[in-house]
Amino acid sequence: MRKIRILLADDHKLMRSGLRVLLEQQSDMAVVGEASDGREAVALAGSLKPDVVVMDIGMPNLNGIEAAHQMTQSFSEIAVVMLSMHSDESYVLRALKAGAKGYLLKDSAESDLIRAVKAVAESKSFFSPAVSKVLLDDYVRKLKRSGAEDAYDLLTPREREVLQLVAEGKSNKDIANMLNLSVYTVETHRSNIMEKLNLHGIPELILYAVRKGIIS
Amino acid sequence: MKMVAAGLQNEESAEIERSRKVRRGLLLAFGGLLALMIAAGLDSLWSLRALADAEHDVNTRFSAHTQALSTVILTVHVYHEQMERYLLDWQNAPAHPDAADVVNSGTEADMAVQKYPADLDPQEQLLLQRIQTTLAEQESSFAPAATWAAAERQRQADQFIREQIMPRRIYILQVSRDVSSLNDRRLVEATQLLAANVEGIQSRLVLMVALSLFAGLLLSLIGGFYILRLEQQGRRRYQLLVASRQELESLSGRLVEAQEEERRSISRELHDEVGQSLGALLVDLGQLSNLVPAEDGVVRGQIARIKSTAETAVKSIRDMALLLRPPMLDDLGLVPALEWLGREVSRRGEMEVDVHSEKVSEQLSDEVKVCVYRLVQEALNNAARHAAAKHANVSLTQSADKLSVEIKDDGHGFAAERVRGMGILGMEERVKRLGGTVEIQSVVNKGTTVHAELPVPRVEHA
Repeated sequence: MRKIRILLADDHKLMRSGLRVLLEQQSDMAVVGEASDGREAVALAGSLKPDVVVMDIGMPNLNGIEAAHQMTQSFSEIAVVMLSMHSDESYVLRALKAGAKGYLLKDSAESDLIRAVKAVAESKSFFSPAVSKVLLDDYVRKLKRSGAEDAYDLLTPREREVLQLVAEGKSNKDIANMLNLSVYTVETHRSNIMEKLNLHGIPELILYAVRKGIIS
Repeated sequence: MKMVAAGLQNEESAEIERSRKVRRGLLLAFGGLLALMIAAGLDSLWSLRALADAEHDVNTRFSAHTQALSTVILTVHVYHEQMERYLLDWQNAPAHPDAADVVNSGTEADMAVQKYPADLDPQEQLLLQRIQTTLAEQESSFAPAATWAAAERQRQADQFIREQIMPRRIYILQVSRDVSSLNDRRLVEATQLLAANVEGIQSRLVLMVALSLFAGLLLSLIGGFYILRLEQQGRRRYQLLVASRQELESLSGRLVEAQEEERRSISRELHDEVGQSLGALLVDLGQLSNLVPAEDGVVRGQIARIKSTAETAVKSIRDMALLLRPPMLDDLGLVPALEWLGREVSRRGEMEVDVHSEKVSEQLSDEVKVCVYRLVQEALNNAARHAAAKHANVSLTQSADKLSVEIKDDGHGFAAERVRGMGILGMEERVKRLGGTVEIQSVVNKGTTVHAELPVPRVEHA
């Protein structure tokens, strides 16, 4: 069986070695490289072509978000798991906009890392459960204050299905096949969803899905 | 600091003492000048009056003497005429003077001599005495002639006139001329003396005027010099003041910078060293836990407890590091960091915060980012902790060359002019250092608005 090739990027050696031990206990995973800053990570990603990059957000020279952006721009097949201490929406959204597939809190790295790597290697997204909770709490509080209804109730069952599949990273064509719909119809559903939820772009849609617990 | 203040105080009191002295000196000098001028004026006035008096005296004396002398000459002339007519007119014509008339006119001539003014100089006195003596001789020589009968008179008249009268008459006239010329000489002398006096007064007046002029000039020079010096002093002091204010500003600017740097380094230390070690510890603990058989509940429980303690430590370290230097500024940029800050305040349940931004560049300098972040942090902190606000609105707008920040809350406000806490001072300091302005408007029970504007260098977008 082909092993998942992983690149670790963190400016702290201790953290990297801890992560490496965790990953190498898995028979189907191999750490192929380590980088201590963003620039090195981008360079190594280019030369090693790993399947998954597990990368800290706060790094010197080039931070993790910028590095993720550059990697996913150049090598769309690389899946990035962002490693962060922050469960705040600002971070999650930026990570998503930079093209990260997974968002892992350092607190729960030890218990969630393997699941996260596996998920993103299968082109699924992964978010630490604590992140979803914080996002949801913020969202609910905001709704309560503004007195607005959760627009999710406005979605039709079909739209909810499409929302989940889009958030999981499926293409319009995949979704059309899975749901026996035309690509055109899927596109219409998608734009309806965006309009109803007042979302701008896929990252916001994913964030919304994470918040609602539609994906994890 | 204290010593410097004491030194300044000493210098100041010395300065005050010096200026008091100078003022006193100037007052004295001006007083002196004025006194000099008044004295000069009074002196010349007095001298002129004295001169006029003296001139009057001289003229009076001259005319008195001249008049008296004229009277003497006239009466003596009448006396002699009478005598001659008495002697020659022996036919006893009517209106013919008799001997008694002659004696009378002689007495009148004597009287005239006696009436001559008493203020005589010795020479004059001598001359007058000669007249008097001659008159007396004349009178006594006439005494026998007064008794002469007509025939006797006819016989003796010519001889008597030739021998007794004419010489005396001529003599008296000569002496009188002498007196007159003496008087004339006296007048000339007195006039010359007066003229000399006038010259003296003139030269004194000139001296006084020159002296006053010189003193005035000197005083003006000294005064002008003093004014110039004062002006120079004032300018120097102003420059000193400006310099020290700039120094103070740069010092407090450096202080803010140093504080920010210190915070950043402590934050990094906490996050990098302590936080990471604890993080690694957590990972290791997780692995350890996996190595322990599931049946060994005691050891697993122990590990779980250690883990929870470590997690608590990680969390508090992280909170501390966040407070000291929010990594969001570096990781995400200003607006997301502010949004995070707003949500963080909301999460703590202190108050609800909305953050709006418009066209804010992501290429802001670190200084501007930190400044705005700290400004908003301070304003929100004040609103939640001190003003009991329930809701706050943060808005950022960027135009061509400036970034405007506004934080509005619905708290109970404060008197913005009076209350100047360290926090607000710090805000102003930070913004001012970057060349911006802060305006704080607070209305009691209506909330507070903090508005700041920061210059932002134009960034050329590709």
